[in-house]
Amino acid sequence: MIRRRLALVGAVLLVGACVERLTAPGQCPDYCPSGQITVVDTLLTTSINRDSSYRGYVLAYQAALMLAANLPGATDTLDGRPIFRINGYGARFRISTVDTSTGPILGADSARLQLYVVRRDTATHNLRLQLYRLPITIDTSTTFGAVAAPFTDSPLRTVNIDTLLAQPGRKDSVTGDSAVVDTVNHRVVLSLKLDTAAARYIATDSGTVAYGIRIAADTLASIAFGKDAFGPSLQWYLRVDSLGTPVARTPGALGARLASFVFAPPPAPLDSTLAVGGVPSARSLLRVAFPKVIRDSGQIIRATLFLVPAVAARGAPADSFVIEARSVFADFGAKSPIDLRLGDTTVIHVGATDTVKIEVTNLLQAWAADSTHPTILVLRPEREAQVFGEIRFYPSLAAAFRPTLQVTFVRRFPFGVP
Amino acid sequence: MTHRTGWIIALLLVGPALTGGAMAAAQDSQFGIRGLGTPGRWESVRSRSTGGAFGPFDPLSPLMEASLADVGQLTATAAGGTSNRDVLVRGTATSLRATRFPLMGVAGPVARRLAVSVGFTTYLDKSWDVTLRDSFMLRGVLQRYTDEITSDGSVADIRLAAASRLTRRIALGAGLHVLAGSTRMTAERQFDDSTFHRVQQSADARYDGLGVSGSVLIGLAPGLTIAGWARSDNRLRAKVADTTSAVTDLPLMAGGGVLFAPSPSARLGASVAWRSWSKAGAGAFDTWTWSAGAEFGSRRMPIRLGARGGQMPFGPGTEAPTEVAGSLGTGRAFAQGRALIDLGLERLERRGGGLTERVWTVLVGITVRP
Repeated sequence: MIRRRLALVGAVLLVGACVERLTAPGQCPDYCPSGQITVVDTLLTTSINRDSSYRGYVLAYQAALMLAANLPGATDTLDGRPIFRINGYGARFRISTVDTSTGPILGADSARLQLYVVRRDTATHNLRLQLYRLPITIDTSTTFGAVAAPFTDSPLRTVNIDTLLAQPGRKDSVTGDSAVVDTVNHRVVLSLKLDTAAARYIATDSGTVAYGIRIAADTLASIAFGKDAFGPSLQWYLRVDSLGTPVARTPGALGARLASFVFAPPPAPLDSTLAVGGVPSARSLLRVAFPKVIRDSGQIIRATLFLVPAVAARGAPADSFVIEARSVFADFGAKSPIDLRLGDTTVIHVGATDTVKIEVTNLLQAWAADSTHPTILVLRPEREAQVFGEIRFYPSLAAAFRPTLQVTFVRRFPFGVP
Repeated sequence: MTHRTGWIIALLLVGPALTGGAMAAAQDSQFGIRGLGTPGRWESVRSRSTGGAFGPFDPLSPLMEASLADVGQLTATAAGGTSNRDVLVRGTATSLRATRFPLMGVAGPVARRLAVSVGFTTYLDKSWDVTLRDSFMLRGVLQRYTDEITSDGSVADIRLAAASRLTRRIALGAGLHVLAGSTRMTAERQFDDSTFHRVQQSADARYDGLGVSGSVLIGLAPGLTIAGWARSDNRLRAKVADTTSAVTDLPLMAGGGVLFAPSPSARLGASVAWRSWSKAGAGAFDTWTWSAGAEFGSRRMPIRLGARGGQMPFGPGTEAPTEVAGSLGTGRAFAQGRALIDLGLERLERRGGGLTERVWTVLVGITVRP
């Protein structure tokens, strides 16, 4: 027993004795190693060349959101209008659930349209939404001008979202509209009741309907509607002929087969500047002559890309947007495949003309680690075609304002030297 | 156990050192950071408990070879020690701790008048860890940072030695020393501003060198023996990534000692050594060291005590730092003397260049005679 206890005490002492503690404050230079960490900061003013811009990566109908805006500017008004088409059930509908007999659809008593507002500025007041009927021929190529006329007709419905949200239970007992606010995702789900006149079920069109939305507000009228899982859906309340007797049927809700948006004015054509953002989205490529002295002999601890805006960033004032710098796997110009593993971002505020700084440390470290990696930076919006915002930077041709890289790196530590 | 089997077991004990797989280290010191490192103590626990005075006469201490002539039978030994070190510099006190295994070796007779030994000890300890808080202007802003530079490793002295007792009074010895070792070095900088990424560099530095030594033991009278030794190492070459990063000349060394045993239960010793460390470059000094000690009682369970002093080879300023130490210890023989455990306790103080180190070291030595 005593031997066991002694062995245990011995083992504890042995483990305790093996704990090393060698860290001591350095008293330099007398009691520090002769080698020191040497930091070098350099500004690469001429290393970015052969830069260019391309547009058309994500079109409006490919965007994840439908943008709505009504923002008067100094020269024109930014007007964005969501458009969507919902296909119907056809000319006939099943009478019973126990057999396959169908009857002609006589029409609709009413319908309920559900819309997700996925982005809005809470500073916007008196936000109003107007619903218009559009031709069912709208498609992905529909332009702002092509549907300008239907938007001049009387709206099917007008909803004041602020008023609706202020109602008890967020329900309007007069119109039948309601709203649900998702406090986690900050989404507002609008459920709009369409009466018989607004919800026309035209059997010859197979029940297909198309709608467009315009918004207005006292200020900052810019919101975004969801698509796909959070896109528009229509719940029909139909009347079906059953051997001469009209019967009511409530089929399942239908989602939008086409969801897009049109807007005016169109983006300015690309010029020699480096455009990033907008709809359709634009990207810029910057080719970097990465100095060997940095690649081979140092560890990059910070790299900053400086870009001087050629004009103030455009877009909805409330919708600051994020642009990101990424690298590419290979240089195929506009079609260069983007390396999504690493990226650096910065926020662009609409109207600002300050020099934009993007920390690209991760990217340059990757270049230093892999000498086969193309040294090309791609600038693009983080969420392409999900905001109207666009910024244009001076290109490398503009000597005084060209893009520059500031690189801070550490030289190789002189290991092994006494 | 046969003689041959004993040698095989003993070689297995020291084999890792011969292949570079072992890490030997002695006592660290802040004085070694700026220089080549902290020189090891080529002494067994028994010798170190006597302040090092018995080193020239102890066959298990790798200081001299001639004493191997009296080893008598195959013997393997190993030593370990734990140091608690308080470092005081410019009003800052830091407590450090390290455990080291500075000695392992095997020795034994191979012929009637010839004994050999193989083993390793620490030539230079190069383990330290320095942190530094400072700031400098970067991108127009005062950037504060914390540096941590570390070195973990040592240079081992792998010795192959042979000795012969030529007459009853005279024994001669010679040794070949292979210096080998490595350090894992890291340099890190963490800026307070996190937009600057952490600096993290590391490298393995490998070291090599060669040396030769010779020694003599002379019995002047019954119970009175003197010893003399000399050693020359060529240079220490440091390689990082197969590229030579530094070549440093190593010192010539010489020393001597006297051992007086007036009775079977009392032994008194003293020794002195000189080393030309100034060859190692700026900030290095030639050193003198001395020691005196005694051992009382039977060899089965003796009492040892000693003192030593001298100079450290590396330090700031124009004068070498000094050190002084006192030690005591004992030993216990088991299994009819086939196994011995030696225990030692050392109190050491080093001073120089505004720095004071005070060290407590507990030493444990194991010796086996299969």
